[in-house]
Amino acid sequence: MSAVFSVSDLNQYVGEVLAADPVLTAVRVRGEISGFKKYPSGHLYFSLKDKESQVNCVAFRGNAAHFSFVPENGMSVVVTARASLYDRDGRFQLVVYEMEKDGVGDLFAAFERLKVKLEAEGLFDTSHKKAIPKLPRRIGVVTSPKGAVISDIIHVLSRRFPNFDLLIYPSAVQGQTAAGEIRKGVEWFNRTDIVDVIIIARGGGSMEDLWCFNDEALARTIYESNIPLISAVGHETDFTICDFVSDLRAPTPSAAAELVMPEKSELLSGINARTDRLTRALLHLVAIRKNHLMFLSRSKALLSPLRRVESESQRLDMLSLKLTHSLNRRMDSSARRIDKGIARLDALSPLKVLSRGYSLATNPATGSCITSIAQVTPGQAVQIQLADGLVHCKAETIQAGRIL
Amino acid sequence: MNQSQEYEKLSFEEAMTELESVVNKLDAGEGTLDESISLFQKGVLLSKLCSSRLEEIEKRVRILTEDTNGTKKEIDFNEDGITSIEKE
Repeated sequence: MSAVFSVSDLNQYVGEVLAADPVLTAVRVRGEISGFKKYPSGHLYFSLKDKESQVNCVAFRGNAAHFSFVPENGMSVVVTARASLYDRDGRFQLVVYEMEKDGVGDLFAAFERLKVKLEAEGLFDTSHKKAIPKLPRRIGVVTSPKGAVISDIIHVLSRRFPNFDLLIYPSAVQGQTAAGEIRKGVEWFNRTDIVDVIIIARGGGSMEDLWCFNDEALARTIYESNIPLISAVGHETDFTICDFVSDLRAPTPSAAAELVMPEKSELLSGINARTDRLTRALLHLVAIRKNHLMFLSRSKALLSPLRRVESESQRLDMLSLKLTHSLNRRMDSSARRIDKGIARLDALSPLKVLSRGYSLATNPATGSCITSIAQVTPGQAVQIQLADGLVHCKAETIQAGRIL
Repeated sequence: MNQSQEYEKLSFEEAMTELESVVNKLDAGEGTLDESISLFQKGVLLSKLCSSRLEEIEKRVRILTEDTNGTKKEIDFNEDGITSIEKE
């Protein structure tokens, strides 16, 4: 007589047999989901069935949380699971730890094949990638005009650079026709050449949803685009062929908007800083020359031209004073608007000096300023520059000595 | 002086690079006072140009539509999905 098992012992034994079987510890099973239930605990209970049979399945919360999609009744899936026996009911079940949609494995293989092929052809070469312009005068977007993606882009652009210029090429971004429509968009922008940069955008989704961005013809169109192109497809972790072939990959559509448009305030302060440096540099040069003149004016050898030196020095003082005033005003309120700053700088322009009645004499032959009678001979042409134009003169007589 | 006409063609990026180089030259302090003043004037022109480049972008959000002949046309886009009056 063989030994008699208790029910518990039997179930435990069968459980151990199943657990020890090398095939049943990591088995991949294809089937359709039915009787799907998600418990508050986070565990998922369902059956997998085909035409003839079905098997009970459970996916515990820790594993279920990593599924890339929410399972639904009627979905055809491939699960990776271990077989076990539920002791209490003596019921055979699969403990599922991975689940993918049926066919995704094929898609992934196709993606890898195309990626390898295009990479070998050089479509992803960094040397071919075009620089994204610093300040695009007009931005072209190929995307769906409905939904969050376009509003996200518009929102980010408005925040960074309020007077941006955006042109939307509406296109399907999933489904059979999508790849062709996106391609037409890229081609249209290239033909019309009215935007400085193109963004291809779509929100996150499953691998099937994003499949149109793995289209070979689309990849080639992007490669051939003369206009720099940013790919902004899906979320951070989703990679498509478009991402590899584009000139720049943005992790999300909002990020693409950040990458494509600089912050206006930053650009303004950049201009401001350079203009300040410009003024300061000139002021410094004038100060150096003034000191030099002061030094020369004390030299006895130069006693006779002293008055001239003094007057030059005075002129420089005035110029320097005006510059200092202007600079001080700029310093006092560094936050002041750039255009006002420029207006003030403009006031220092020699043209403004001219408008106050001063004039500039130049030798029309050489174009150089006439600063001394030594540079003029009687009969020579002299050009007098006034604020609003030129007077062409001829020197009649030359008289030495100061007039003013 | 055709300097300003010449500058008119510069993009924001080019004008900014040119401005930077003018500032660096003036900072170096070489050359005569005349040359320095002319550099300064160049700088002022470029600085004006840079800021005007920022303002000359017209705030627009437009979308392409196709009329019955299949010709593409731009119309104003608004996020509610309602597109407003057409502009040629």
